[in-house]
Amino acid sequence: MVVAGMDLGAKAIKVVILSEKGVSAKVKLFPDLDMAQSARKALEEALVQSGTELHELKRIVATGTGRSAAPGKPALVTEPLADAKGIIALLPLTRTVIDVGAEEGRGVKITPQGEVVDFAVNEKCAAGSGAFMESMARSLELKIEDFGEISLKATQAVPMNAQCTVFAESEVVSLIHANTPKSDISRAVHDATASRIAAMTRRVGIEKEVALIGGVAYNPGFVEALKRTLSLETLLIPDHPDFIGALGAALIAYEQAVN
Amino acid sequence: MNSYPTEPLKCWGKAKEIRQKYYENYAKAHDQGGLRWSGSAWSFDALAAGLGKDVYPLTGEPYSASIAANPEFNTACQAAADEKGWARDLCSYMRTYWGSMYLNRYLWGGPFPKADFALQIQICCSHSKWYQVVAEHEKIPFFCIDVGVGPYQSLDEARLTYVVNQMQDAIVFLEKTTGRKFDDQLFIEAVENECRSTSLWAEVCALNKAVPAPLDEKTMYSLYVLATLHKASKEVADFYEELRDEVKDRIKRGIAACPHERCRLITDTQPPWSFLKIYRYLEGFGAVSIGSLYTFGLEGIFADQPDGSWGPRPTPSQLGIQIKTREQGLRILADWNLSKPQWQHFYDPDLKTKMILRIVKEWKVDGVILHLNRGCEGLSLGIMENRLGVAKAGIPVMTYEGNMADEREFDMKKTLTRIDTFMETLKLTRLEEKVF
Amino acid sequence: MNTTRSLQDLIKPFRDWYKNRHSYAETWKENHSQQVIGMMCTYVPEEILYAAGMLPVRILGGHEPQDVTEAHIFGMFCPFSRDALAQGLKGKYSYVDSIVLSHSCLHFRQTFTSWKMHLPLKWSYYLPMPNQVQSPYAKQEFQSEVKKFKEFIEKEIGKTITAEALKQGTSLMDKNRSLLRKIYELRKKENPPITGADAVYMAVTSQFISKEDHNTALEALLEKANEFTPSRETGVRLMTIGSENDDVQFFEMVESLPATIVCDEQCAGSRYFWNPTIDAGDPIQTIANRYVDRPPCPTKDYPERKRFPHILNLAKEYGVQGVILMQEKFCDPHEADNPALKRFLEENGIPTLTLEFDSTNPLGPLKIRVEAFLETLSAEELFS
Repeated sequence: MVVAGMDLGAKAIKVVILSEKGVSAKVKLFPDLDMAQSARKALEEALVQSGTELHELKRIVATGTGRSAAPGKPALVTEPLADAKGIIALLPLTRTVIDVGAEEGRGVKITPQGEVVDFAVNEKCAAGSGAFMESMARSLELKIEDFGEISLKATQAVPMNAQCTVFAESEVVSLIHANTPKSDISRAVHDATASRIAAMTRRVGIEKEVALIGGVAYNPGFVEALKRTLSLETLLIPDHPDFIGALGAALIAYEQAVN
Repeated sequence: MNSYPTEPLKCWGKAKEIRQKYYENYAKAHDQGGLRWSGSAWSFDALAAGLGKDVYPLTGEPYSASIAANPEFNTACQAAADEKGWARDLCSYMRTYWGSMYLNRYLWGGPFPKADFALQIQICCSHSKWYQVVAEHEKIPFFCIDVGVGPYQSLDEARLTYVVNQMQDAIVFLEKTTGRKFDDQLFIEAVENECRSTSLWAEVCALNKAVPAPLDEKTMYSLYVLATLHKASKEVADFYEELRDEVKDRIKRGIAACPHERCRLITDTQPPWSFLKIYRYLEGFGAVSIGSLYTFGLEGIFADQPDGSWGPRPTPSQLGIQIKTREQGLRILADWNLSKPQWQHFYDPDLKTKMILRIVKEWKVDGVILHLNRGCEGLSLGIMENRLGVAKAGIPVMTYEGNMADEREFDMKKTLTRIDTFMETLKLTRLEEKVF
Repeated sequence: MNTTRSLQDLIKPFRDWYKNRHSYAETWKENHSQQVIGMMCTYVPEEILYAAGMLPVRILGGHEPQDVTEAHIFGMFCPFSRDALAQGLKGKYSYVDSIVLSHSCLHFRQTFTSWKMHLPLKWSYYLPMPNQVQSPYAKQEFQSEVKKFKEFIEKEIGKTITAEALKQGTSLMDKNRSLLRKIYELRKKENPPITGADAVYMAVTSQFISKEDHNTALEALLEKANEFTPSRETGVRLMTIGSENDDVQFFEMVESLPATIVCDEQCAGSRYFWNPTIDAGDPIQTIANRYVDRPPCPTKDYPERKRFPHILNLAKEYGVQGVILMQEKFCDPHEADNPALKRFLEENGIPTLTLEFDSTNPLGPLKIRVEAFLETLSAEELFS
């Protein structure tokens, strides 16, 4: 039996094809303005990659902010549940999962069965999201891929005083003018973002183990910053952290198809 | 799948009529030589009643809530308040009321009817300032009564006296301002009406413990509002008696507010008034909000019942107390208002958590939705501690951000997504898939 | 003799106290074996606590980024209330035995309630200070509240607080008030020897350093006061109006432009100490009256606006050329006054600049706005 899980995020569409043999394909695609068409394309690519025909798909479950644009009349689930199901399958000791995407950050408290106990989402504020870090990297004329690495070379903790994105940008500029090393500024941005995410996650209570997922988990600077602010020695990070929502959706699809 | 019989409330039309007449009466008060005054829904309505039967109030919060349901007018009001430099995060009712006043536009047509005087109470950082600004702009006399004497459980003689003394002065103010003589008999009747209205409303709320719930919260909004308008009037008190009887009858006949009730929720704080459709959305999951501390305890006066449950506070007349003097009436009115459930938690979120958990238990509630209401400092006070307290008690709880009267601060799509997640945690799926 | 240097030496204790407030309190506690009381808002009748031998310290923010309060106080409430709670949750005030809140605004009430729910304390006390200080019954009511508070403290310490002790506590407080008034007098000079930043250090530390020590340091400074001739340019004479905003870095930035902040109307400053007690016979009534009569927090300034004429008097007395309205973000009491206050000041010929403050602030954007404000003030001078 083959099923698909789709995660239609603000910046990227992720698709996972799952059968009893495990994951047979995973595709990430950056959508154009037509979300529905991009989603269809992503699914088609994934089907090709896994050597599956569309009619063989028993079920599709979609999650993510754009989930209603997913093809094939899928069942819809919200991100916290998809995150919970996905992470518990890979890292079963997880009790708190932190998902930082392009537009939103989420903290989810979960059971050993991958059920959502409690969740918190950052409210209408860019300062705790991937998009914020990208914009700050641009201000520093750094590639987002290098941004995190460079922050690890910081020699001092410079506080970011601005509490909102607009002011943060001008603060970064003032720091550059003050000849603050890019590494230190970079760390300041990572600390500020991690602090936002930590504050939000504290709403649900931090219960170990804590896992970090979403595209931001690839950024070693953010990982270190989050560990620091949460006083955690270890932060679980799965392989392909940006695919956990899609994987969770696929697992739910499989469960539903079996029943 | 449950499918309960349901039917519209018979007294619905009457509630609408009372509300409509109320706003008309206020606007037209001067035509027959009557008086009009403005103040908060928390203000001492019964005091103004002592000036005569032709004295009509305009309470600020429900007036602004009505404007909130009219997005075009509301936007104009917010813009007018912005233009005067008032911060966006100030009480959105206050901003809306000011906007309507600045624009000189009454929601029900015509110019904004200027009050003859403002009679206010001080409960939060906005209430006194609200009418200070109104009094300055409209050039009308303003009297304010400070009720910030601590929670009811620690009320003592000195604290009560402080409030009563100010009420005595308010009477002097009313007589001086209007040139009318304060009529003790009218005042005493008004106190009795107020106690009757607010005790009856508590009784109606207590009846909603029944499964299925005879009333849903969205309907209750249209009913409790009468007490926020004119609780000291005989008409409102009589209406609640009729409502109470009808709700009792609904319970007897098994009439439900929502035919598919399978999950009972409560909310908290004023809802975002122009987005009440979120309640219909919840019902799509068979989840019914059966009330809130807000709908129950803003106007309902509650007390412990002999069996230990929470229900209506007995009125003075039910206790065989006959109010004979002004002084006695004032003391009863002050004490009664200070016991308001919605007033207690201003002092300590723990008091609110306890009341919420009590409602959860007695009203058989499955989950709690807290509206983080950016428009109201007072009712959002301590709300994150309430969230912690409710979660700690093992009750599923979700929050969403919004604003009761400024829709710029509400994100419908995100809120519905959040509700979806909450429904998932409650293991509820949409009924349409199965039922329809 | 380099008098500026000696002035700096005399101001140094205040700066040090400002930075090392916690170690000061810890040491005080070790030496005195008495309770340290966290005081919330400036309406707490400290006279009672001093009479009981305790040390009241005002709970303040740390002006540093924090991520520990979101679970406790919703983000629509003022950054100060959250910053102050964060200091508690992070253990900075672990020496505080008990807390007392005297009511002023709702925002900070949450700092008090969350603190008592989540931090270990011997006791906590809520004092319902009347909102309506203009009511003829406010003094009577507050007298009764202060009396109850005194009786509560007596139970705590297991002995009576005598009328004599109350008088001593009162005169200690009054002495501090009058010394700070004298410091502020110096700022009326054409070239004030004391900067606004210096004044913040002095006024704010008076809220958490033992009044005995604080008085000694103030007296030492005042003794030499007439010798001071400042070496800096005075520039434009400014006044700050706001709440707790003790953002010293902001004050220092403004005063580098050049300008001098010669006066303030803030609870971190003059509102706290401005008026002394006036003997009303009964020592409790004497104390109570003082708090009812003090320059009010805007939330208590109704039905009449008594704050505005007081501010205008200050501005005139101190030769103020412009006012900076320091609006603490989300602070309802000030937000509900500032537009009217701005109009009032401008109608009285005093230009204003409104700036919004968070618990931490990027100085760059603030500097640009203050510079522009100072330029308009100088331009006005050119054309007047």
